[in-house]
Amino acid sequence: MGTQELVGVIPWTFIAQICNLFIQLWLLKKFLFKPVNEILEKRKALADKEIKDARAAKAEARSMKEQYETSLSKAQAEAADIVAAAQKDAQRKAETVVKEAESQAAHIKAKAEADIEQEKKKAINEAKDTIGGLAMDIAGKVVEKEINEKDHKKLIEEFIGNVGEAS
Amino acid sequence: MNFEIAGSKIYYSIHTGVPVLGDFNITETLVVSWIVMAIITLLCIFLTRNMSVENISKRQAVAEMIVEAANNLVRSNTGSNRFDWLIPLVAAIFSTSIISNLICLVGLRSPTADLSTEAAWAVVVFIIITGCKIKAGGIGGYLKGFTTPIAVMTPFNILSELATPVSMACRHFGNILSGIVIDGLIYAALAIASSAIFGAIPGAVGDFLSQIPILSVGIPAVLGFYFDWFTGCMQAFIFSMLTIMYIANAAEG
Repeated sequence: MGTQELVGVIPWTFIAQICNLFIQLWLLKKFLFKPVNEILEKRKALADKEIKDARAAKAEARSMKEQYETSLSKAQAEAADIVAAAQKDAQRKAETVVKEAESQAAHIKAKAEADIEQEKKKAINEAKDTIGGLAMDIAGKVVEKEINEKDHKKLIEEFIGNVGEAS
Repeated sequence: MNFEIAGSKIYYSIHTGVPVLGDFNITETLVVSWIVMAIITLLCIFLTRNMSVENISKRQAVAEMIVEAANNLVRSNTGSNRFDWLIPLVAAIFSTSIISNLICLVGLRSPTADLSTEAAWAVVVFIIITGCKIKAGGIGGYLKGFTTPIAVMTPFNILSELATPVSMACRHFGNILSGIVIDGLIYAALAIASSAIFGAIPGAVGDFLSQIPILSVGIPAVLGFYFDWFTGCMQAFIFSMLTIMYIANAAEG
């Protein structure tokens, strides 16, 4: 088995090494760069997609938030309106109730006063009758004289009327 | 004691009959080159097996790191993405070079200790450089480039153009060969020293011990660290960097 020279370019070895270099290049491309670059691309695409999705989600959330805020403020205004209306209504009702009560009370008072007046008149009339009768009896007994009851009564009534006016 | 360094062994010779090229010799260089290629390819296949987009394994992380490092090296040194086609070539040169340089650590002869290997790479790079120059300036521009700054400089320019591949090949080859020469010298010297020292022990013990190169254990490893590891990695890196630089410069026009 011989050896080749230590320093020198052997043509066939030279050619074979060029081929080897290109074979190695192809092998590296096929087994290292292609699969790894594919994975890197995929990962990049995935990351890009995630970012895009996140941005879309953020925009959606923002629009939803705005929507909620608008509807919330609207609802608040509505609630305030409702409360105000209810308060007004209640006040109006209360006023009506009070007025009615007052008028009723006045009515009752007036009726009571009228009753009292009537009772008073009645009582006075009764008292007049009784006193008239009594006076006639007393006078009859005193003068022992039968007077025409009708004339007498008229006389007494005049007297009581004078008494009533004087009292 | 004689010390000899021979070229790579010829295992088998195929007679081709082609006049200039001569016989095709299956040399140690070629066999170890194939071993190196097999190692690199198997490593790539091993690293890129079962890859996934998420939850990556350590193997995949290493594979991605290598690819990113290659991408970054080429892109940062050329300053653009225009030279992405160069990445696999640089990676091929770098990986073949470094594994070839380091394979001498397991006792095989480095393919890079044969000038044919480096010459092959350098010529490939030279052809690409020339191709880029012609593409950048046209054939006229390329030829005119030799006459700058004045026409008298033409021979020197041609010489310096040709010096590019020669210097690239010889730099790498010289470093690796010098490592082998120095390793061989150190081993031989240590064997002689060991034989002399232990031969001084009288009687059968000295005769026996002087046959064993005891000093060769350990000391060459320290030197081997520089001449095999450091030089091996350095030359692979330098060759790759020069490839990138020359091609990037050539394409700038």
